[in-house]
Amino acid sequence: MLALNTLRGIRVVAAPHVLDAATWPAHVTALRIAPDDIFAIEATEADAAGVASADSHSIIVDEHGFVGCWLDHQQLEHITRHIEWHAPLHRPALVQGYVAGVPAKIWLTDERSLLLCASPYAADLMERVS
Amino acid sequence: MNEFVETLLEMKWHEPKSSYDVVIIGGGGHGLATAYYLATQHGITNVAVIEANYIGSGNSGRNTTIIRANYGIPESVRFYQHSLELYAGLEDETGCWIMHATKGLLWIAHTETGMRAERARAIINTACGAETHAVGPQEIKQICPQIDLTGNGRYPVLGASYHVGAATARHDRVVWAYAQGAMQRGVTVLQHTKVTGLIRDGERVVGVETDRGPISAGIVMSSVGGNVTKIAAHADVRLPVRTHALQAFVTNAYAPGFSGIISDSELSCYVSQTPRGQMLIGAEFEPQPSYSMQSTFNSLASCAKKITNCLPFLRDLRVLRQWTGICDVSADFSPIMGFTGVDGFVISTGWGTWGFKGIPAGGEQMAQLIATGKTPDLIAPFALDRFARDHAMADLGSAGTR
Amino acid sequence: MLWLSCPNCGSRPIEEFGFGGELPTVPDRITDPKERDIDYVWMFDNLEGISIERWFHQAGCRRWHTVERNTITDSVEP
Repeated sequence: MLALNTLRGIRVVAAPHVLDAATWPAHVTALRIAPDDIFAIEATEADAAGVASADSHSIIVDEHGFVGCWLDHQQLEHITRHIEWHAPLHRPALVQGYVAGVPAKIWLTDERSLLLCASPYAADLMERVS
Repeated sequence: MNEFVETLLEMKWHEPKSSYDVVIIGGGGHGLATAYYLATQHGITNVAVIEANYIGSGNSGRNTTIIRANYGIPESVRFYQHSLELYAGLEDETGCWIMHATKGLLWIAHTETGMRAERARAIINTACGAETHAVGPQEIKQICPQIDLTGNGRYPVLGASYHVGAATARHDRVVWAYAQGAMQRGVTVLQHTKVTGLIRDGERVVGVETDRGPISAGIVMSSVGGNVTKIAAHADVRLPVRTHALQAFVTNAYAPGFSGIISDSELSCYVSQTPRGQMLIGAEFEPQPSYSMQSTFNSLASCAKKITNCLPFLRDLRVLRQWTGICDVSADFSPIMGFTGVDGFVISTGWGTWGFKGIPAGGEQMAQLIATGKTPDLIAPFALDRFARDHAMADLGSAGTR
Repeated sequence: MLWLSCPNCGSRPIEEFGFGGELPTVPDRITDPKERDIDYVWMFDNLEGISIERWFHQAGCRRWHTVERNTITDSVEP
């Protein structure tokens, strides 16, 4: 049984080339949701100071609207059965789309993977994958 | 001879003439009903109905056969109630058995917002002559014992509006009744004849080009379904219409019997039982326009998942057939009837997913419009120019689908 | 199953997307500005064939894309 916990971090919306160049501390997991949009887990606004100075129109706000949990290979294997589309083979990779019919994201790395979704969908996702 | 397979029709097929007083494009219910009423009510019989395939092969033969008048705006309620009454008298009038059966329709609500809409529907329907009551869960259970009032714990049934006069009729037989009645009075019906263009004399439309040669006409009416945009484009008429695929399916026979009609906006499904005992289930149309008649498993699965929440007995039945029609859905979800702004070209379109129930009234009113040259009061609100006048007849909530 | 391709996320079932409508066009032969406005607001090309449409990947990156879709086959041009 998976437990989805709130993921705290910052949401950074800025020009794509600024986000391309951004660097993050080692403990931060930066998920590139869209070319102009990053969810940096466990980052603070101070970590995005470079983005703020490079793009005066950037939006940097606290983000705690996602829940997630880390999966080992076996758990990922289980979750993958609920996915109808193909995930890329390279790692790390962020994949987004329906997981068991619920909008969700998976951050795939060689060691482990992070399953996350917007918190209103948490109960639905849990119900459908367990 | 099995009464479900076919009946002996008195139909005399003709070769096309070079000219008619009225040419109707589209041999579905609306086109044939217009020809029928032109002949019976106005004595106009020099009429040709041109159908690209066989009569009733389009949406007239693909709908879910429900006849109801429980709309959300007074103009629509009056129009469809008139249609419902014409349907009730159609067997006596034509002498054809259309398997008409008055069943009553429950329009179910699962939320307070939905319930408010159904109470409003009951009031407005009754005020406009279509008897409808707001009913609670216990009355629903009496009318439809098969229903799960908890909605599988997920979609609790709070109430419904009960439209007493709702009925069903065999859709093919309606098409044949009108075709036979029209042809007996001298109307020509041309099957397997494609209209490839409209003949213009200046601005005016004076005939049609077909793959069997040109046919001139005093007036041309389009009662084409999903392909209407291309027909109207020949007359430079732009339409607020998109073509969407709508799917339906039937199950094997359900022996205990299911007497009513169930409609559900929130689950976007409607259910009735055919005279053969099969459960006939229709769903919502796809959000994106499409001319594809390919039925999809996704649509079947999503509809089945939803409707079995409220009618669990459907889980034990098997799907026999699934089919798709391409519907002319108008921008405000109401039909478009009347003049087009181009002389000699009138139109009956935008029937989207609600055309079958409108066949008698639509045909009768369009016949009157063609015969008199004036728009009858009943359909004046549905003229094409309502969009330019900013008088859209928005009624998505009553489409029974979306 | 019908599939659409999202430039950010890749190929996904069409259910993941929201339909935002085709790019509106007004025929050149309509010249009166008011008539053009009415056409722009209400009328549809309703093309049978390749239609250029806006789609929103609501279950993924939540961005709008322009997609060329064949309305006869429901297939999407690469």
